[in-house]
Amino acid sequence: MAVRVITKIFQQSNYLGLHKGTTQTFCLPNFILNRPRFQSTEVPKETRPTVRTTNDLVKKNLSDFGRYVAECLPKYVQKVQIATGDELEILIAPDGVLPVLQFLKDHHNCQFSNLADLCAVDVPQRSNRFEIVYNLLSVRFNSRIRVKTYTDELTPIDSSTSIFEAANWYEREIWDMYGVFFSNHPDLRRILTDYGFEGHPFRKDFPLSGYVEVRYDDDKKRVVVEPLEMAQEFRRFELSTPWEQFPNFRNSAPPTEEIPLNKEEK
Amino acid sequence: MSYKYLKKTTGLTRLNVAKNPQHTLSVLYGKILRTIQKMPEDASYRKYTEEIVSNRAKIVQECQTVEDIEKKINCGQAEELIVQAENELILTRKMLSFKPWESIIVRPNADQWTWPPGK
Repeated sequence: MAVRVITKIFQQSNYLGLHKGTTQTFCLPNFILNRPRFQSTEVPKETRPTVRTTNDLVKKNLSDFGRYVAECLPKYVQKVQIATGDELEILIAPDGVLPVLQFLKDHHNCQFSNLADLCAVDVPQRSNRFEIVYNLLSVRFNSRIRVKTYTDELTPIDSSTSIFEAANWYEREIWDMYGVFFSNHPDLRRILTDYGFEGHPFRKDFPLSGYVEVRYDDDKKRVVVEPLEMAQEFRRFELSTPWEQFPNFRNSAPPTEEIPLNKEEK
Repeated sequence: MSYKYLKKTTGLTRLNVAKNPQHTLSVLYGKILRTIQKMPEDASYRKYTEEIVSNRAKIVQECQTVEDIEKKINCGQAEELIVQAENELILTRKMLSFKPWESIIVRPNADQWTWPPGK
C-alpha cells in the first residue's frame, strides 16, 4: 500500500513537471520488498463488492437451530440446508406442513409468528413438480427461516390458514397461478386472473401467448373471447439467451450447504 | 402482593396489562408440564420444552416482583411471556396428536431437492 502511494505521488509530481529532467523510475529495492512487513500472513479479507461475505458465527447459529428443529420433528424434516451463507431452509415432507409451521410459530425457542411470504416454484422435470415455499419471520429473535415442501398437480397440500391468517390470499394466488389445491382452505378461488380464466399461467407448460384472445367485436357490439389463432412461425419462442452469462460458474455447485443430521433408524 | 403498582400499558397493541402475571404464568407452566408428561420420555421436543418451561417456572416461583421475572427470563414483558406460554400450551396439545417424535414418514425422491433439476 505504502509503495503504491509513494509511486502515485511520484507519478503525479512527474506529471506536474516537478522532476523535469530526471529519467530514473521510482522503485523500492528488493531487500525492502522481501521484508516480512510487506508479506501479509493474514487471510485476505473479501473486499470485492459483488461477492457476498458470510459470517461464521451466524452460520453456526443457523445450523445449530436447523439441527434443533430437525431433532424436535424427526418425523417430517427431510433435509436442512443453508442457502447463500445465511438463509436457513428446512425441507419437509408434504404431510408435515401443519406440524412444522405450528412448531415454528408457537415454540418458545422459535416464535416465527409472521408469515412473510408463501409461494410456489414449478420444476416440470421432477416427479413432484411443485415446490411450496414458506418464508417466516421471528420478530422476537430477529431471524428468518424458510420451509419448503413439494407436491404434484393432483395431491392437495394442507392449508396453513388455521395457523397463519396471512396464508389465505397467498394460497389463493398459488392455486390461481400453479393449480396447487389446498385442502381445508376457507375460500379457495382465483385471485389474480380474469373472470372465466382457464389454466394456470405460472406453470412452465403454459404458452406465453395464452390459450384465448379477447377482442371487441363490432358486429356483436361486445367483447368476445376466441381461441388463439397464430401462425406457426410465431409460436416458437426462443427464451434462452444466445450467449452464456456466467461461463465460469457453469459447473460450480449451488450456493447451498447441507447440514448433516444424525438420524437414527428406528 | 408485592406488586404495588400496575403499569398503565404494555405499549403493544391489543396486549392488555395482566393483573396477576405470576399466578397466570405458574398455572400455564403447570399445564404445559402436565401435558408434556404424556409424551414418550426420549422425545426431543419433550426434553427441550421441559427444560425451558421448568426453568421459567422456577424463576416465576423464586422472584418476588414482576420486574425481576422479566429481567431474569429476558424474553419480553410478563404479558408477552403469558402469550408465549399460551402458544406453547396449544402446541403441546397439538403435538400429542401429531406425534413428531416418530421416525420419518416420507423420504424424498432422489430428484426432489437437487439443483439444477434433471441431473
